[in-house]
Amino acid sequence: MNVIDLLITIVVVTILVTIVLAVITYVAYKLRLARQPAGDAAAGDELRYFVKYEPSLPDAPTKDHAPET
Amino acid sequence: MSRLTRIVLSLLLVALMVVGTVAFIFWAIHASPRFQAILVRIVFVSLLIFLAILFARYFSLLWFAYLEHAERNVLEPRKQVHLPAISVIVPAYNEGAIIEETMESLARMDYPAYEVVVVDDGSTDDTLERAVSWQGRHGAADFRVLTRRNGGKATALNTGIAASHHPYVFCMDADSRLEARTLRRAMRMMLEDDSVGAVAGNVKVANRGKLITKLQALEYIEGLNMPRRAQGFIAAVNIVPGPVGLFRRQALEEMGGYDTDTFAEDADLTLKMVAAGWKVVYEDAAIAWTEAPERWLDLVQQRYRWTRGILQSLKKRKGLFLRPFPDFPLWLSVLEMAFEAIVWPILNVYAQLFFAIVALLFGAGELLLYWWILLTLLDLVAAFVTVSMEEESLSLVPFAFAYRFFFILFLDVVKMFAALDELFNLGMGWEKLRRVATT
Repeated sequence: MNVIDLLITIVVVTILVTIVLAVITYVAYKLRLARQPAGDAAAGDELRYFVKYEPSLPDAPTKDHAPET
Repeated sequence: MSRLTRIVLSLLLVALMVVGTVAFIFWAIHASPRFQAILVRIVFVSLLIFLAILFARYFSLLWFAYLEHAERNVLEPRKQVHLPAISVIVPAYNEGAIIEETMESLARMDYPAYEVVVVDDGSTDDTLERAVSWQGRHGAADFRVLTRRNGGKATALNTGIAASHHPYVFCMDADSRLEARTLRRAMRMMLEDDSVGAVAGNVKVANRGKLITKLQALEYIEGLNMPRRAQGFIAAVNIVPGPVGLFRRQALEEMGGYDTDTFAEDADLTLKMVAAGWKVVYEDAAIAWTEAPERWLDLVQQRYRWTRGILQSLKKRKGLFLRPFPDFPLWLSVLEMAFEAIVWPILNVYAQLFFAIVALLFGAGELLLYWWILLTLLDLVAAFVTVSMEEESLSLVPFAFAYRFFFILFLDVVKMFAALDELFNLGMGWEKLRRVATT
């Protein structure tokens, strides 16, 4: 096989392998999506908003700088 | 149409494409020599047409990008102007690994007066705690933190914009790090013309330790910033990137802020503004360093979302395609956006597949090889010019081989599937990219 044929083979194989890899990665991405639990907002998260946040700062924060909800 | 029906239809379309390809191969193998010769001629002509389109695309983008670059470098130096105060909005969701570095970069801005409003979008990690530790005055900036129930990036941005005070608003991502002069340079572009509604900045990849991120670094320079630079020459940039964008509050308020019905709220808002007559320009010195995905699955996730978001934005404004006048630059910008998002990826994937199959079957490999060499040379030249214009490291240029050889085609396949999913309106979510804080 001469250099030109080798290069042709490399180009063709790379094109085909790239397309196949991209398809596989896309399918893997879709599978990963399908495996994630539906609804990440579990009941525990809602409780977060009923707990007053106490910042661990040396000086007590003024009202203007308190986290606003 | 139910979700199941849409999924089935999209799978049927994919199956049809695969079956069509296999049928074509089968037919081509068994066709008469006369038809095979015609097929090779079709390949030859198609290669030339494809190359011509590619040359036209690269030439026009490079030419306009060069004009924009030259205009800015040969004009008289701008006079010192008074720099008005800016509100910097930082929406953050589960960015605990990197939020403090972002705050540190914001505290070091070379700008006389600005406020930073961090909007915690209902994070489930320690983002809020880390951000709150930055509340108060740091240098020239006041840092404030808001927290809200999770509602998505667009809603978080709107919350921050509503809670901020200054006439100019800078929107960024929580994983971006700004250079000290970013605000200053963006504001100078904004103040040049009262009809400028937004200034798009220059996004660069910070984490360049792996091949995948080096390729993205080159892609940002050659594939994203170059078109943005070209669009900036006609003041019709079609996407103000999420990591770095300065807005006139008046323009934002006229637009009603970010819409929440797409996954590319940055593209959506920019199109809205340009369609409303505001100029959107580009400033290459307003730099934001961002963390690019380091895993291939994460990259697919990101590009899938970008493509679908852009297509959602274009669908909302499909009437613009039929109205080249009175706003011709807008029409060009929208066409270019649609071309890059959907037409070019499909064309590229099918062209390469078609050429590879015919090369394999009929020994037209030399045609393919010379064509591919020309494409690679084109990418090398484009990489060299754009990397030089951005004063980046020339060590990125040799990656144009892998960029052309593999990266572009890989992403175009993903874009093609994203376009298909958007066509059938399949569901999607935001998902969170894994932050590794490698920089």
